[in-house]
Amino acid sequence: MRVSRAEQMMNYAVLALFALFALAPILTIVRTAFAPRIGESPGLHPENLLEAWRIGGFAESLGHSLVVAVIVVTCAVVLSVGAGYAFGTMRFRGAGLLFPLFLLGLMIPAEAVVIPLFFDLRTLGLTDTYAAIALPQIAQSIAFGTFWLRAQFRSLPPSLLEAAALDGAGPLRALTRVLVPASLPAVITLVVLVFMWTWNEFLIALVMAPAGRLRTAPLGLATFQGQYTAENSLLAAGAIIVALPMVILFLLLQRHFIRGMLEGASKE
Amino acid sequence: MPTSSSPAAAPADRAPARAATGAGGPAQPASGAPRRRRRRPSPVARTAATPYLFLLPAFAVYAAFSLYPLLRAAQFSLYDWSGFGPSTFVGLSNYLDLAGDAAFRAAIGHALVLIVFYAVLPLIVGLVLAAILRRGQVRAMGIFRTVIFLPQVIALVVIAVAWRQIYAPSGPLNQALRALGLDSLARGWLGDPGAALPAVGFIGTWLEMGLVMLLLLAGMSRIPNDLYEAVRLDGAGPVREFLAITLPSVRGEIVVALVLTIIAALKTFDLVYLTTSGGPGRATTVPSYEVYRRAFELKDVGSASAVAIVLTLLVFVINLLVTRIGERPA
Amino acid sequence: MRRRAFLGQASAVGGLGLLAACAPGSDAPEPGSATGPAADEVDKDVAALGDVTLTVWDQEVRGAQNDAITALIESFQQKFPNVTVDRHSQSFDDLRQQTALALSGNDVPDVLQVNNARADMGEFVKAGQLTDLSGYSEAYGWEDRFPASVLAKSRYSADAVTFGEGSLWGLPQTGEVVGIYYSAAKLEALSAQVPTTWDELIALVSAAQAAGEQPLVLGNIEGWPALHVFGPLQAHYVPAEEIVSLGMGNAGADWTSEGNIQALTQMAEWGASGAFGDSPNGQDYDAAWAAFTEGTGVLLIGGSWLGPDMEKVLGEDLHFMAPPAGMDGKVATTGGTGLPFTIPAKAKNAVAAAAYIDFITSSEAMALIAENGGMPVLETAALAPDSGVNKEIYEAFDAVSTSGTLLPYLDYATPTFADTAADTLQGVIGGQTDPAAAADALQADYGEFTAAS
Repeated sequence: MRVSRAEQMMNYAVLALFALFALAPILTIVRTAFAPRIGESPGLHPENLLEAWRIGGFAESLGHSLVVAVIVVTCAVVLSVGAGYAFGTMRFRGAGLLFPLFLLGLMIPAEAVVIPLFFDLRTLGLTDTYAAIALPQIAQSIAFGTFWLRAQFRSLPPSLLEAAALDGAGPLRALTRVLVPASLPAVITLVVLVFMWTWNEFLIALVMAPAGRLRTAPLGLATFQGQYTAENSLLAAGAIIVALPMVILFLLLQRHFIRGMLEGASKE
Repeated sequence: MPTSSSPAAAPADRAPARAATGAGGPAQPASGAPRRRRRRPSPVARTAATPYLFLLPAFAVYAAFSLYPLLRAAQFSLYDWSGFGPSTFVGLSNYLDLAGDAAFRAAIGHALVLIVFYAVLPLIVGLVLAAILRRGQVRAMGIFRTVIFLPQVIALVVIAVAWRQIYAPSGPLNQALRALGLDSLARGWLGDPGAALPAVGFIGTWLEMGLVMLLLLAGMSRIPNDLYEAVRLDGAGPVREFLAITLPSVRGEIVVALVLTIIAALKTFDLVYLTTSGGPGRATTVPSYEVYRRAFELKDVGSASAVAIVLTLLVFVINLLVTRIGERPA
Repeated sequence: MRRRAFLGQASAVGGLGLLAACAPGSDAPEPGSATGPAADEVDKDVAALGDVTLTVWDQEVRGAQNDAITALIESFQQKFPNVTVDRHSQSFDDLRQQTALALSGNDVPDVLQVNNARADMGEFVKAGQLTDLSGYSEAYGWEDRFPASVLAKSRYSADAVTFGEGSLWGLPQTGEVVGIYYSAAKLEALSAQVPTTWDELIALVSAAQAAGEQPLVLGNIEGWPALHVFGPLQAHYVPAEEIVSLGMGNAGADWTSEGNIQALTQMAEWGASGAFGDSPNGQDYDAAWAAFTEGTGVLLIGGSWLGPDMEKVLGEDLHFMAPPAGMDGKVATTGGTGLPFTIPAKAKNAVAAAAYIDFITSSEAMALIAENGGMPVLETAALAPDSGVNKEIYEAFDAVSTSGTLLPYLDYATPTFADTAADTLQGVIGGQTDPAAAADALQADYGEFTAAS
């Protein structure tokens, strides 16, 4: 579609303005991360990153984050594929009740479930375990994943399943050999999303592992902030360490990811 | 959705919309449903138990770690309990106390203010940005899209660290204001009772605009080009074109965006905890922060659970309202 | 229709769930059931334990104190090679948050630094989550080591109703005193004298402000730092004895007294006039003292723990003094001991934990703390350095503890007072709460608590 040259300039101006607005805080923190610490000479100080890495114990907390993310992504995606498969391709009694029940999970705030989970898991002696951090997040991701994959499986042509049936495939084989390969973009988008939520999760990690042995990266950064409030540059360096893995992952997959979101959003 | 700011809760929450209006009926396989052969669940599923077998693991985990805790929270809210030792059943008195609790009422009020910042402002910004991108001829569209969406990807802890420095009394924001000669506007943004809540809210606007833009863009990209050509032949400018074609076509996406961002506004725990801890005074406390504060700082688990239940109901009700209004025929 | 059916079934399921679930906390131990070994049961033989890992949580993250603890741990491990100390340190606020959650669980540290306040130590004692150290105290002779007044701040009755008497739950290592930091050069530039009375100090604040300086430095985004300014100021208007009652949460005093309102009014005036800068409530505590070292402000009313870190930047220009004498003619200021070290009831290595606490409060430890630039709680007179800000800090601490009154931190008072006082003082400084309303709010919390106990 053609638009006038004046309007085009306007459009670029508006877009550039908001792009700058989105980037400014991020650039601020990057700039601060390389600024001198209290009482040091001016100039660029890339050693802040190393210093923050060492003092903040990020090697450990990033490791915990990775383990939690892998557990949550694996379990949530596998379980959601199963549930999405049932809802998306099969007719059975109770589907009309069960599916809304899954959707309810999209609206349950973590704040509401974290209190009873903490006290009940404490009674069972399960706080401060990977399970305590991962399971509530798996549950929340299942609600979304089931919805997401149900829509995906429903959008596939029914002839796929019929052909699989003619080949004598059972339900599991049809799922793993036919439906999942045909849905790979949607599954990958789901993997990225769940990974991102888990990586960035704060409240559940804060409450469910109070002893601090399994402190995840966001928590590590929060503690770091408490300790080095005055050291803006160290703090900014720590912030970059925590944000970087997710930002890199997003930038690598962004084309795919944004397309997946755009397509997913229009699936019925 | 683990994180309130989760971008892609997006498509998801079309779902609650539909569930709420009763469309969550038995899952019909998409168009051209298979012939009913011996009432099998699907062409490949041979027994009636098959769907349940696929459903069971997901449902078990979901029920145990999401549904059941919610019911437990409802139960806890009927007790007076400090988190250890025995509890006392007190009926609805925790809820009655909330009605007269100034801190709680303030928290609800703050949540409503945050909705403006998290949902209304991003919606306006998102509409403008998406409309511009849709009208085409924007080179490097992908870059703008990615950059404006980027805040969504970053952990809220990191965002809190960044904005806390920006808002500090001698931080970049005040430096900029002073450089522009606007000294009277400079202040410790997070410590000024009038400014702290908008300051926290503004982070939400920054955070959510990319998500809203992306959602609306998804809707707008489905509008056929001929529609636009038609109104342009009638001599419509960009504004009339927007009002006549674009806006009505993305009603569904607007509803989704509002539902999502409103939920995010109501769940602003991380940001408040990490920037102001509800202060100064209680100027920025919100229900989700009150849940944590009451349970783990004031050690009043009953009251905390009551707040949690009210918060959940609030999320449900607002969701229902928005989808109802959005789906009413124009 | 479908939705209604769904809601109906959901509530039926919910009802079943409620029936099935037991009431919260019904399986928890009785409160107030905490105990510790009697003196003759105490095992002091750490070497016989075999290889153990001792988990320690503390909040000594500041330079001097951190150095002292690191050095102490090293020599502790030399003394007991079979013990490995696994130390986790974090800020005061973060440790408080974490402790509140963790202490009720099973994965607890062996040694834990706990705030003396009723909201913290008091609640944990009541819940039976700490070990009664009375037996250890007798076995190790801690009562000879420490003056009774110091130990009193870590004593609670087993039901935590009485604070200041009863069993011993923790042992402090450092001394703390809130006083006034100033830069000699700054005072000289203002041609001002070091204030010797509160009236002079208040006049100095006005004079500095008139000269275009920010008179007082305060970073109060956390809420509690203002208590450290208010505490000494309060002593100018209120008799020390009364402040002690208010601070310990004992009955008999009144926040709405004329003196308290005058003190709150002075805080409000300083807040309104900008004496604390544009926005003390928007400033981080640590950012504020960092700004002071970079030349912002004339006076900083704050704790002795800030001295060594600030001295690193300011050097000889930094000075410290006890606040001027209070209304009863004697100096009275907030202070006392650093946070006491305790042993959680579920600690796995109580024997080694007690030995650790004994070690870090020994004479050698006190010397090590002083050597690293901190202020030990014991033997301050003997260990005082010859020069520097610490010399002045030691002198002030000595003067206040021998001839004046070390006032309790005001947040000790009730389980909710830290919260109430922080909110209220933020309001007073920010101008949202007038002094009378602030006094009412503080009295409501204090009065309700003292009436109930």
